[in-house]
Amino acid sequence: METQPIEQYVRKHRNALVTAASGILYGGGWTLGYLTTLNTASAAVLVTAAVVGGYDIARAAYYEVKSRTLGIKTLVTLAAVGAIAIGAYWEAAAVVFLFSLGSYLEGRTMRKTRNALQELLELAPDTAMVRRDGELVEVPAHEVAVGDVVVVKPGEKIPVDGDVVEGESAVNQAPVTGESAPVRKAPGDELYAGTINQDGALEVRTTGSGSDTTLQRIIERVEHAQEAQSPTESLIDRFAKYYTPGVIVLAVGAYAVTQNAILSLTLLVIGCPGALVIGPPVSIVSAIGNAARSGVLMKGGEHLERAGQIDLVAFDKTGTLTKGEATVADVEGFGTTADEALELAAIAEKKSEHHLADAIVEAARNPTSAATDGGTTTATAGETDANAAQTSVPDPEDFDVVPGKGVVAHYDGRELVVGNRALLDERDVDVPQAVAESVRAHEEYGDTAVHVVRDGTVVGVIAVRDELRAAAPAVIEDLQTAGIETMLLTGDNERTAAAVADEVGIDDFRAELLPADKQTAIEALQDDGHVVAMVGDGINDAPSLATADVGIAMGAAGTDTAIETADMALMADDLERIPYAVTLSKATRWNVIENVGLAVLTVTLLLAGVLTSYVTLALGMLVHEASVLAVILNGMRLLRFE
Amino acid sequence: MSETTQFRVMDFDCPTCANTVERALSGVDGVEAVEVHYSTGRVEIDYDDDVADPATFETTIENQGYTPQPA
Repeated sequence: METQPIEQYVRKHRNALVTAASGILYGGGWTLGYLTTLNTASAAVLVTAAVVGGYDIARAAYYEVKSRTLGIKTLVTLAAVGAIAIGAYWEAAAVVFLFSLGSYLEGRTMRKTRNALQELLELAPDTAMVRRDGELVEVPAHEVAVGDVVVVKPGEKIPVDGDVVEGESAVNQAPVTGESAPVRKAPGDELYAGTINQDGALEVRTTGSGSDTTLQRIIERVEHAQEAQSPTESLIDRFAKYYTPGVIVLAVGAYAVTQNAILSLTLLVIGCPGALVIGPPVSIVSAIGNAARSGVLMKGGEHLERAGQIDLVAFDKTGTLTKGEATVADVEGFGTTADEALELAAIAEKKSEHHLADAIVEAARNPTSAATDGGTTTATAGETDANAAQTSVPDPEDFDVVPGKGVVAHYDGRELVVGNRALLDERDVDVPQAVAESVRAHEEYGDTAVHVVRDGTVVGVIAVRDELRAAAPAVIEDLQTAGIETMLLTGDNERTAAAVADEVGIDDFRAELLPADKQTAIEALQDDGHVVAMVGDGINDAPSLATADVGIAMGAAGTDTAIETADMALMADDLERIPYAVTLSKATRWNVIENVGLAVLTVTLLLAGVLTSYVTLALGMLVHEASVLAVILNGMRLLRFE
Repeated sequence: MSETTQFRVMDFDCPTCANTVERALSGVDGVEAVEVHYSTGRVEIDYDDDVADPATFETTIENQGYTPQPA
């Protein structure tokens, strides 16, 4: 009754068992020959070792030949058979044993690398509790239909993609976005399958299940990225195409000249470029797998290799270095109260869709929340409780947008102009010294200042602030430590840009750029010999991301377009991943160079050693397999990179 | 009718071995396209199910000394 499990065990561990058996026989045969004079017995045991270890190899070799490919198994089989034919039993057994041990270890370590990604998939639960006709039913997760409401208890994993319809909770999104801090979720917020509900019950309306979830799509993309050949890999593949047949010709030629069969067989054994072809893919698969687990999607080896050469990172400002949430930081009245200036601005801006306009209207509606001291803690208008008393803002009678400058509106018989200095100059509005100084002070602080004009007289200055992300200065510093230049690209005026650049410690900035100018700025940097990475949101910055050598999109989890245009995508809005992604790319590039270097060195030494008869058949195989294992283990270090 | 099937081969030990498996699979009757990836161990086969028997795919992979798993 035990036979079934034993058979299964043997099937599953066939390679390990065969290798062990061949190893034991090889050791036994060698000892027998070394310690005793029973040479025939020793030879018999060694041949058995070669046959036991070699059966599977020879079988695979047969199929290799049948499908007309020239693989290492054919070469090893030839070498082993040849060695037995000329009576070199010890060599034959050693070659077979070392090869199968090497293959076993290589397959095993590669399995670990390949599994790195599968672990992510296993995070999504198999079943979901669905509310149907008022009752909770447990159904397989992939059978949940779009629109079904799934109930997720605290501590459970979320089985589908969907929107919260009921309940509030903190959700650990690390499996999808790599963010370590849990994210607060309330009705209307988006949830991803595979993330973990922490402290409250949630009801989720399904938007995707089974293979149609964000996690699944990310994993699919990551796999395709891992499979795509990097330029180094293609180069090596082309080389390998000539290398193996070349060595065979060399082996035949060497035999013709020296009549030394062992020498020719040894050449055959090292004829598989081994470490050279294995090294680069292992480095790249490990790096992409590591990145995926940290919420960074690398689009492939090609992008990774180029990213390894980055020497300058350019940042977009709004939404990248800053939170992208404009709030009114300060209002100053000239000849009127601050409140009135703000109200006039709000009326003029009410119909505008500009993000500065939103901030001004929001601040006017919630007068208590706008800080008017110009201090460091600022308005939180956008987050203010909806229940708080709101002041209503009247509609303007008419309204015109002056692109890039501001708005002109009429209300209650008066003309209202809200905008920058260029708009005021255009309309011949006199700017008093006090106003100019106020504007200058705000801009030097990094805020964007707009003038409020009533009937041709400036009555107020409003400072709008988009707060820096807390992580920004540390991110810039980390990049600088890694020897990378940093640059800010922004549409803001010089003074505001300079202030922001100074606050985050960024090396340089380019101000007053329209979107197309950002592309030109990047091209100019490239012409100066820089390898430029551009960090942006992936939608507004899509053209500059495409122009840069490496485009890095932030907050890409939900947006396919961002992932499409970028070379790397950060799943979360997590600026701190940038230094990680850049240093990982650099580490990968070095890792590939190390692996190629080691492989070339090994092959050169082996070839030289064989041709000068220093390297025997068994030693050749040992070094060959050892070098393959060395590059795999070296590449796998990238799985643990932090 | 054209069908697509996937396997995972987690024990590929070298890229050339993956190429050999790819060639062997392309040789199976009714197979239209094959992708075998050393990096991920993913095997994707497009085949005509009037001609090809999917069971032979597994045998073909096993003959090369590897263990196919359902994807």
